[in-house]
Amino acid sequence: MDFSLSSERQILFDTLTKYFRNEYSLERRNEAASSDLGFSRDSWESIASLGVFDALLKPELGGFGGDPIDIITVFETIGSGLVIEPILNSVLMSSMILSHGSEQQKAISQAVLAGEARPIFAHFEDLEQYEIHSVETQSTESGNAFIVNGTKSAVRHLVGACHLIFSARTSKTSNGKDGVSLFVIPLETNGLTFETFESIDGGRVSDVTFSNVRINKNSLIGKKDQAISIISEAIDTGTLALCAEALGIMERIKDITLNYLKTRKQFGVPIGKFQTLQHRMTQLFIEIEQTRSAIMNASFWFNDSVETRKKYLSAAKYTVGRVGALVAEESIQMHGGMGMTWEYDLGHFAKRLIMINHEFGDEDHHLNYYAKFSS
Amino acid sequence: MDLSFSTEQENFRKEVRNFLRDNLKPNISSKMKLGILLSKDEIESWHNTLNEKGWLAGSWPKKYGGQGWGVIESFIFEEECSAVGAPRILPFAFNMLAPVLMAFGSDKQRDYWLPRMLNGDDWWCQGYSEPGSGSDLASLKTSASREGNHYIVNGQKTWTTLGQHANMIFCLVRTSTKGKPQEGISFLLIDMNSDGIEVRPLRTIDGEHEINEVFLTNVKVPIENLVGEENKGWTYAKYLLAHERTGIANVGLSKRRIGELKQLASETKKDGKPLIQDPIFAARVAKTEIDLANLEITNLRILSRAQEGGSPGPESSILKILGSEIGQEIDSLTRRALGRRATIHVPNILDYGYNGPNISPINTATAAGVYFNNRKTSIYGGSNEIQKNIISKAVLEL
Repeated sequence: MDFSLSSERQILFDTLTKYFRNEYSLERRNEAASSDLGFSRDSWESIASLGVFDALLKPELGGFGGDPIDIITVFETIGSGLVIEPILNSVLMSSMILSHGSEQQKAISQAVLAGEARPIFAHFEDLEQYEIHSVETQSTESGNAFIVNGTKSAVRHLVGACHLIFSARTSKTSNGKDGVSLFVIPLETNGLTFETFESIDGGRVSDVTFSNVRINKNSLIGKKDQAISIISEAIDTGTLALCAEALGIMERIKDITLNYLKTRKQFGVPIGKFQTLQHRMTQLFIEIEQTRSAIMNASFWFNDSVETRKKYLSAAKYTVGRVGALVAEESIQMHGGMGMTWEYDLGHFAKRLIMINHEFGDEDHHLNYYAKFSS
Repeated sequence: MDLSFSTEQENFRKEVRNFLRDNLKPNISSKMKLGILLSKDEIESWHNTLNEKGWLAGSWPKKYGGQGWGVIESFIFEEECSAVGAPRILPFAFNMLAPVLMAFGSDKQRDYWLPRMLNGDDWWCQGYSEPGSGSDLASLKTSASREGNHYIVNGQKTWTTLGQHANMIFCLVRTSTKGKPQEGISFLLIDMNSDGIEVRPLRTIDGEHEINEVFLTNVKVPIENLVGEENKGWTYAKYLLAHERTGIANVGLSKRRIGELKQLASETKKDGKPLIQDPIFAARVAKTEIDLANLEITNLRILSRAQEGGSPGPESSILKILGSEIGQEIDSLTRRALGRRATIHVPNILDYGYNGPNISPINTATAAGVYFNNRKTSIYGGSNEIQKNIISKAVLEL
């Protein structure tokens, strides 16, 4: 048994940690996060030049990594740096999906690696929370084309993307689990409209509406009606990455809060001398350690059967959701008023940590899933 | 035992309800329901509406222009206001400073300041906390030294809610460094337009500007603005804390918000079915609703005791703790109910001239911001940790 990282991965981890700590300041991050684009193209290019994209992608996708351990290594540093650039969706998940497509479609992910393209994947719809097979956007064959109608909701980082990868129902089935297909189209396609909002944790989020959008038949990725397993694999990978991002954030929050407990004085002593705060901080420490174990477990079983992978992923995402809320809320409370201010780092980490619970299933969703898979 | 209100009280409730129906503007209640900060004008306009009815300071004695409401009447009024999303009366003048002036101020101070509060001539803010003195308030350092007919005040106050609108601030200042820290504190009324005062905004994590820092450099304050005796300010401040408590459980507000939460969770979907039908989510809502039903009675028990014996006393810390925790749980569930869409943040959705897209359900626009902003409720007004210290010492005698 060996819980340590290989030396290459340790170097990657250290390099990225150092870069995000030293070069990627929170001030610049927040400035980029509140810009119209919602992130920084300069940072995007710098991150690409560090080899992050290659580390995330398997050799068959043009990278040199892509193992679950690579993904959690990179994303823990992304969390601790509070990186806003859309690496998860535009690089990792998009490339995984496009790898099932035609040569022309695969070329898009080659262009991502070369820093020349940024696709975005949109799947979830309307007021549905997190269920993967709840797809109601319709794509109907009509001669040499598909006609698409429907919506995709709350798509992060759509602004400035070149291509839209989306799911749509191409056949009605009784259980809703088949009959879904994937497509990729240029973002500038007639009939596509967007409504863009600020995101509470920084960046931009958009609703996409398809109104009789006519798209070429060769926009289809892979086989018609067979996309749920591809989507599911991409989202599972994204879920693992988000868990690691959350862990990186928790570790940063732990450092920030510990430092505050040791330096903030009230009643003549550092507030960390009060037993009630010592016990609460200790509880956070214990829960963060448990979260790390959950993520290691999920990455270990990731390439096993789909059921086993999903079971341990749900265990990890449930843990991240539950512990994430605890860490965010308790760290703010232990800071008092200081934790409520924009100028102090903590709140920005806390917001992202809470909102990770809102991507790819919250703790209730995954608790329910775990119960299904373990019964 | 009888948990029902008297006929008189029920009639009063109807009167409040009718008044609110006729006088509360829909755009104001919409903003309140979305947790959007009202403008200075909007708050003042609501204060004026209440003042015309004589309800701006209903709990004040009649001789000062109030209605002499007991704690139960105040509770009914606040509950009805919360239920329809009426703005909360700003507490700084009416619930905090006024009781102190009534108990410890001079006739001249009462005659001058109390009518001005009712007429909206002054906007009061609170100058208690300092950067180095939060939970340990008695360690405050802002100094006031006597020079002729003035105090010269130097120091810094922080977390000053709506200080950007204020023309007056009531401050705890240090007038002596001898003896225990509590024994050298005085209570001063300071004109915010004095030379040497600077107000700087503090943005909160949701991006709002509600709180401020107030810097005081050689600020001249006339000695007639001292309340009560020099070095007795700590006693007055504690008295003040005991008098801001009737609405602190926020029962009415939380009741309305649980109703809104259930409505929201019947619109959002989990696996194609309304979220409220999900047993895990339904259980979370049910637990919160039970906590709130229990708090409603705990609140009335404590208020009834206060009705008989004056101020609510240290048990009111129970109300502060539970009221904030239940409110925060509703914030959290509202955010959770929105799923992925909770990240959408459009705090200006109801602004005049907003021309962005519509958002449905509309509470999507502010739910996450409100959740983060309301983390303050377990911190301000004496953090919940301080409230627990009060209960351990003053109630349980540990």
